[in-house]
Amino acid sequence: MTRLATIVVGVVSTTIVGLAQQNTGGPTAADLLAGLRHPERWVTFSGDYTGQRHSPLTEITPANAHRLAAQWTFQTGTMTRGRGFEVTPLAWDGVLYVTGSNNFAWALDGRTGRPFWQYRRELPANLTYGAQAPVNRGFGMLGDRLFMVTLDAHLLALDRATGTVVWDVVLADYTVGYAATLAPLVVDDKVIVGISGGEYATRGFIDAYDPRTGARLWRHYTVPAAGEPGSDSWPAGTEAMARGGGATWMTGTYDPALRTLYWATGNPNPDYYGKDRQGDNLYTNSLLALDPATGARKWHFQFTPHDTHDWDANHVPVLADLTIDGSRRQVVMVANRNGFFYVLDRVTGRLLRGAPFTATTWARELDAAGRPIVLNDGQGTCVPDQWGGTNFMPPSFDAALGLFFVTARETCATYQPQAPKLVPGESSFGGVVKRDPDKASGALRAIDAVTGERRWEFAYPSPSMAGVLSTASGLVFAGDNEGNFMAFASKTGAHLWHYQTGAPIWGAAAMTYTLDGRQQVLIASGTTLVAFALPAPEAP
Amino acid sequence: MFWRVVGAIAAWVAMLVAAGGSSLAGQAPTLAPGATALAGAALYAARCADCHGADATGVRGPDLTRLWGAGTTDDRVFQTIRQGVAGSIMPASTAPDSEVRALVAYLKTLGTTSTVSTAPVARGSVAQGEATFWRTCGGCHRVGPRGGRLGPDLTRIGVTHSADALRTAIRRASAAITPGYQSVTLVTTSGTTLRGLRKGEDAFSVQILDTRERLQGYRKADLVSVARDAQSLMPDYGPDRVPDADLDDIVTFLTTLKGSK
Repeated sequence: MTRLATIVVGVVSTTIVGLAQQNTGGPTAADLLAGLRHPERWVTFSGDYTGQRHSPLTEITPANAHRLAAQWTFQTGTMTRGRGFEVTPLAWDGVLYVTGSNNFAWALDGRTGRPFWQYRRELPANLTYGAQAPVNRGFGMLGDRLFMVTLDAHLLALDRATGTVVWDVVLADYTVGYAATLAPLVVDDKVIVGISGGEYATRGFIDAYDPRTGARLWRHYTVPAAGEPGSDSWPAGTEAMARGGGATWMTGTYDPALRTLYWATGNPNPDYYGKDRQGDNLYTNSLLALDPATGARKWHFQFTPHDTHDWDANHVPVLADLTIDGSRRQVVMVANRNGFFYVLDRVTGRLLRGAPFTATTWARELDAAGRPIVLNDGQGTCVPDQWGGTNFMPPSFDAALGLFFVTARETCATYQPQAPKLVPGESSFGGVVKRDPDKASGALRAIDAVTGERRWEFAYPSPSMAGVLSTASGLVFAGDNEGNFMAFASKTGAHLWHYQTGAPIWGAAAMTYTLDGRQQVLIASGTTLVAFALPAPEAP
Repeated sequence: MFWRVVGAIAAWVAMLVAAGGSSLAGQAPTLAPGATALAGAALYAARCADCHGADATGVRGPDLTRLWGAGTTDDRVFQTIRQGVAGSIMPASTAPDSEVRALVAYLKTLGTTSTVSTAPVARGSVAQGEATFWRTCGGCHRVGPRGGRLGPDLTRIGVTHSADALRTAIRRASAAITPGYQSVTLVTTSGTTLRGLRKGEDAFSVQILDTRERLQGYRKADLVSVARDAQSLMPDYGPDRVPDADLDDIVTFLTTLKGSK
């Protein structure tokens, strides 16, 4: 008895010491670089800096996915009506770090879903964009700090252990129309964030902050000032640039070898009315390549010049190496809201491939430089709606199969531009969009990244806003607007499993990690976060 | 940039939501009533007329010309525009308060705002209409506690639809099918054909109210086909089935229905 008690005490103290050692420091910059090479972690929005959202885990396979079962459900107690619970949880040392609607946030026990702490920001009553889309897509993490942006356009550092605010800095004046919703990206010793609010008279930017102090290190405006490069793509002598939009509300990606940050920009403002902003409106609806040390732009690629359909380019730019025409190319891939799938050289920004992945009637071809050859502006007969051929929900990429998995939307809408009255703090869409209810559907599509051809699709009854996760075992996890969380075979698109979550899966993509040696798959939906795993082995 | 996504049936409604800040954003609430109503008229034409009709007497959505006559208030109309109507194609609006107020001001200028006639606006007999209704329509439609469930509940139809809209709905039933009343035909793997109203559908299942008024869910794995029928379960009641005089009576009766459910 005494001996047994001693042994037990010995085991307990070893465990305590072990945990304490493991907890020290939290993720370092090197851990962030390692990304998914440590499958018991998920340390940044897309899992790693490539944005591929493709896990090396192989416990759950096409052969056993039908046995997936819910392990627990976490209820947030807060929701965004008509929008989503859009978070990708971060996982570190068995703990999940989760942000929710209305700037709630939690640290959850990965084993049970039980909270360690809850944070809730007191928000002002006069939010602007943040009142219309009170969402958040997740934390950034470094050491013992978590980084979160807010609907009143602040950036916060929270203490990872307690959820208390360490510092709080202002990104922009929310009363004008700014808000922030994205998951920050931590690169080396910088917290990189973007801004929302392109429906208001705002000017987009990408910022870098010191993770220790919150001091701003640089700001890159996405719309130029007078006389700067790109300013000739706007009317001279007007206020159009100062309120030109170009919001930056989706997390970018990073190539540490090229020391380049890839970050996308949103619509010009007003969204639908373009007469007062003649020109291409650089650098809206573009992909920007930036030097993370200074914020200086290396190159840009504009997907939709002079956009009048609200087709933001705010997607996760997916980095990969592909063999194209016999040579190995470093590429960045984007399935864009304008209905085209793009492969760019990520060193130069030059177009390598570009083809529609949807049935869009707006344009069917790009010219050699990548400029769309527009056939229909959508004012007479319909083109895709203002949510586009896909949206910000993350895609995934399986390098072994060369397949890019994306949620595609097929819609039909006509646009009626109207000159807006521009008032600070009031949205300025500049028109009306009419959607045809009988012409709206969705699909999960697998695109051959080199050829742009569709390998397979799984059709949904309505357009979905759910993101995608894939795994090295040959699985794709996706979601639909009817609430199903689903698993498919990556090679064939065969449906393997689904679970009805009870609310549209909206903006969120799944993440996966191992906990106590068992692979977990998590998805946010409605007011719930649900963890799935294969049944635990029976005790002997 | 992005707002709410609605289900397949109501997909088009995002138009109104997306319109949430268009041309008249910034109309101060202190505008003269006439100017506000004028602004509201423009907003109405762009965002509401598709469903409620250019003259607001109702097409797919209800007649809006008799809201105040039926006892509603400015606040209630404001909140209905703001929040939408759950379970219908009427979406919530994120338009600025000033625009919603302008719409309310415009709607209030329409039709029978203050001088409501309680007399039937149609030209038939209420009593005859009621009798014909229960012979012809009551199997599928409900008024108060009586009637069937395969068609929309008509307890308040006199509030929401004009006589003209009712005539059209009876003569050409499939021209505008009320959301939630789309007919579907299912064929099971055992060869049975079922017809019912499509109450819900996702990639793997369909939920119907069958023709025996039984709520039934089916897994698509157990079905050979799920077809959305072009025709409503309600046939077009042409003059051969409902002579003009009977139609007048039925419509007259229906316009008197303003009860609460």
